[in-house]
Amino acid sequence: MIFRANLKEAVRSLSSAKQRTILALIGIVIGIGSVIAMVSIGKIVQAEVMTQFREMGTDILNISKDPAADAGGASKKRDFLGLKEALSIPAACPSIDQVSPNVNLGGEMSFSGKKLDGLVLLGVTENFPDINKVKVLKGRFISDLDENSHFCVLGNGAYQKLQGLGAGDVIGRTIKVNDLLFTVIGTMDSSTPGGMRTFDPNQTVYIHISTAMRVKNLWDITNITARVRPGASHRTAQAEVKEFFTKNVTANVKISSPEEVIAQMEKQMQMFTLLLGAIGSIALIVGGVGVMNVMLVSVTERRKEIGIRRALGARQNDIMGQFLMESIILSMIGGLFGILVGVGGSYLAAYFAKWQFGVSYMAIFLGVGVSSVVGIFFGFYPARQASRLDPIVALRSN
Amino acid sequence: MLELSDIRKSYRIGPTEIEILKGVNLKVVTGELMAIMGPSGCGKSTLMNILGLLDKPTSGTYAIMGTPVTYTDDDNLSRIRNRSIGFVFQQYHLLPRLSALDNVGLPLIYRGEREQEIRTRSLEYLKKVNMHERASHNPTELSGGQQQRVAIARAIAGRPSLILADEPTGALDTKVGQEIMDLFRRLNEEEGITVVIITHDPGIAKQCKRFVYMKDGTIIEQ
Repeated sequence: MIFRANLKEAVRSLSSAKQRTILALIGIVIGIGSVIAMVSIGKIVQAEVMTQFREMGTDILNISKDPAADAGGASKKRDFLGLKEALSIPAACPSIDQVSPNVNLGGEMSFSGKKLDGLVLLGVTENFPDINKVKVLKGRFISDLDENSHFCVLGNGAYQKLQGLGAGDVIGRTIKVNDLLFTVIGTMDSSTPGGMRTFDPNQTVYIHISTAMRVKNLWDITNITARVRPGASHRTAQAEVKEFFTKNVTANVKISSPEEVIAQMEKQMQMFTLLLGAIGSIALIVGGVGVMNVMLVSVTERRKEIGIRRALGARQNDIMGQFLMESIILSMIGGLFGILVGVGGSYLAAYFAKWQFGVSYMAIFLGVGVSSVVGIFFGFYPARQASRLDPIVALRSN
Repeated sequence: MLELSDIRKSYRIGPTEIEILKGVNLKVVTGELMAIMGPSGCGKSTLMNILGLLDKPTSGTYAIMGTPVTYTDDDNLSRIRNRSIGFVFQQYHLLPRLSALDNVGLPLIYRGEREQEIRTRSLEYLKKVNMHERASHNPTELSGGQQQRVAIARAIAGRPSLILADEPTGALDTKVGQEIMDLFRRLNEEEGITVVIITHDPGIAKQCKRFVYMKDGTIIEQ
């Protein structure tokens, strides 16, 4: 069969010029690799976002001050709202089930004289674990009975940091925040950051909100996480909260729902996809031109062979098929390596970002498909040149 | 079998046009063993290319089995080359990357034969030229005479009715050349294949049933 013969011949020809073949492949490998990586990472991130939201639920609203509308409020006594008002939201808004206000504080933390970096101090209420879906590992969480007390609970990352400093079972030990001492009463299980959380729950030290506000001399809370009552719509809940704020508070409010956050993430993903897509297409074009170049050289080198084949009865289409086959095989080899590079790259990305890795089969089909299309497209011109050679001219050449 | 009438061929090299063939009239009868002789530059290779449908004449008609050749249908020319003509060249023209066996099978590939059939048939024809023990060797591992015998096996593998040989012994010494010549004669006598040999060696020409002599683009002696 001529197809099999062409296939064999293509492999033979490519392996007889290995160096050239490999050089021609680089562009294709990069091109296909970035396309595959783009698709795979997209898939992985999407899955990741879904698990984040699934963990915390999608019946959540995030209520905070709108930083964009801050400029005009010079006469305002307060920036946002106080704890009492925040806690009165469920009573005023029938669609809101619970609220968990918090204050987000900086501050230098240390344990037995050693600095603890990268931790956030968060003042919270008793229902924080319930709304944020974080679990206590050891000890207990802050209770509303701990008002103004100097107790703290460690996020899992903070807990591990302390253990690293030789705190052992950290419960009962004290950490220093600025000039104040806090006693550890519990530690939290690890949980995924992201989703509707505005902080990394692992790198957080929790204290009671009243303590936090008093220590820092704050009037305002930073953020409210609200859970929507089952059966109520996000939109009504948002409208109610907005109305509550216009009635009671002068500050402008920003309410974000999971849909908005997801939409925003998707927008970012789109930018990322577009960027990788652009890199991929440029690399593919460059790679394709490389394939074309190699094929043109191959045709020139094998003019005599073409002449002999024509003398033995090869039709123009047979010659065309032979060279097209060669360029397709060439690009497909590039495609296969590209798939490896792409899958490997997305594996590394997932590994460093601590995402759940997964291979998208769609990406593999895409890689094989795109590379063969590149082979056909850029191999067509050289193959056509080969087939159009005058047999007698071809036979005479060296 | 073949009939050339008033075949002319000219090439344009720069501004000047050079006429290589100046009205060739030639008939080749089925079963002939014919030699075309002449000094170099007389146009005998050009004539052979035209006979083999590798080149087309500037004017004149060429009929194969009574049918005039139409040069516009390239696929048809390929088909005739593939099925009816076997070429033997002075420089053997074997493909260096293929084994002797695969070289012999080439014409059959373009006929769309099955792989198994191609292998058996190629081996059979290698046997005919006594090269079957070297079937897996590449051309570079073979001597000139051996390569030419493989090339002859390739020429006859497609069971053509005509063999066109362009200086088939030109690159070989006398003894090996004679072996090749014997092979042609055997193919002509036993298989009834028409053989046209281009040569400038009178010793070769003498062994043919008929020879024509060319000079300056015309046949001067039949």
